[in-house]
Amino acid sequence: MNIEYLVIVIAIMSVATFATRLPPFVLFSGREQHPLLQFIARYTPPMVMTILVIYMLKSVDYLSTEGLYAFIALFVTIGVHLWRRNALVSIVTGTAVFMSFVQGWF
Amino acid sequence: MIRDAIKTTLPIFFGYLPLGIAFGLLFQELGYPWYYATLMGVCIYAGAAQFMAVGLLAAGAGFVEIAMATFFLNSRHLFYGLALLNSFGNWGLRKIYLIFGLTDEVYSLMSTIELPEGTDKPQFYFLMTIFSQSYWIFGCTLGAWAGTKLVFNTQGMEFAATALFTVLLIEQWIKVRKPLPFIIALIASAIALLLFAQHMLILAISLSLIMMMVLRLTNKKVHDEY
Repeated sequence: MNIEYLVIVIAIMSVATFATRLPPFVLFSGREQHPLLQFIARYTPPMVMTILVIYMLKSVDYLSTEGLYAFIALFVTIGVHLWRRNALVSIVTGTAVFMSFVQGWF
Repeated sequence: MIRDAIKTTLPIFFGYLPLGIAFGLLFQELGYPWYYATLMGVCIYAGAAQFMAVGLLAAGAGFVEIAMATFFLNSRHLFYGLALLNSFGNWGLRKIYLIFGLTDEVYSLMSTIELPEGTDKPQFYFLMTIFSQSYWIFGCTLGAWAGTKLVFNTQGMEFAATALFTVLLIEQWIKVRKPLPFIIALIASAIALLLFAQHMLILAISLSLIMMMVLRLTNKKVHDEY
C-alpha cells in the first residue's frame, strides 16, 4: 500500500481517459457543418448502440441457466418497450425480471 | 429541468450502482482507505478502466504502461464526441466537464433522446452528466466503504446497462429507419469478435465507421439516401 503511487496512478488515468474523450471537440471545432461530419454524427450512434448491445451480450453463456435468464429478460425489455415506449419502465422491468431469476425471488 | 434530468438518467443509476459497488468492493481489498475509491470515481470516471486499475495497482504496474492501457481501453470514446459536436455549447468549464463525463451510458442517452423544443440543451446535458457521475461516485464509495456489510443484494442489477443499450438501440431504429448502419455494425462486430474478441469495441466501432464512409464516398445510392 503506497498512497503516493496510488495518487499518481489516479492522476495518470484521469488524464488518459480525458484524452480519449476530448479529441473530436478540438479537431472539428468550428467545422460541425461539414456534410461528411454531419453524416458521421447521424450514423455513429445507431452503429455504436448495435455494437454496445452485442458487446454486452457476447459474454453471456447461452447454454447455461443464466444465459436463459438473460435471454428472457432481454425479450421482456424489448416487449415492454415496444408496448409502452417508456425507457425507464422497460429497463426497470427487464432488470427486475433478471434480478428475480438470478436471486431466486420465486 | 432538474426533475427531468433525474428521470432521464435514472436508468444510468440502476446500471452504475451495482457496477460502482462491485468496483468499490474489489478496490478495498487492496487495503487503501475507502475514500480513494471516491476519488477515482470523481477524477477518472470510467468503469472498465477503474476495474483494470485494481489489477494494475495490485501488480504495481509502471506509469507508462498504465497510461497506455487506459488510453487503449477507453479509445472507443475517441468517436463519441463526433455525434455531439454541436450539443455542448460554447467553450468553457461546462463544456470541458461535459466532455470529461462522456461515458458509454451518457453518450448513448444523449445521442438518442430528443429534447422538447426550447430546452437549453447544454444545460440539460450538464445536469445529466452531473447526476450520472454522482450515481457512479455513490456506487464506488458505497462499495469500498460498506460493501461487505451491504444488506441490499444488487446481484443481477448490472443487467440494467444491457437493457439501457437495448432500449436505445430500438429508439435509434425508430429514429433512423434505414437498415444500413445497423447491418454494417453487425458485420463489423462479427469481424471484431473473430479477430480481437477481448477488445472488440474499438475495432468494431472504427471498422463500421470506415465502412460507412467508404460506402458513402463510393456508392451513389448510399450517398443520396443517407
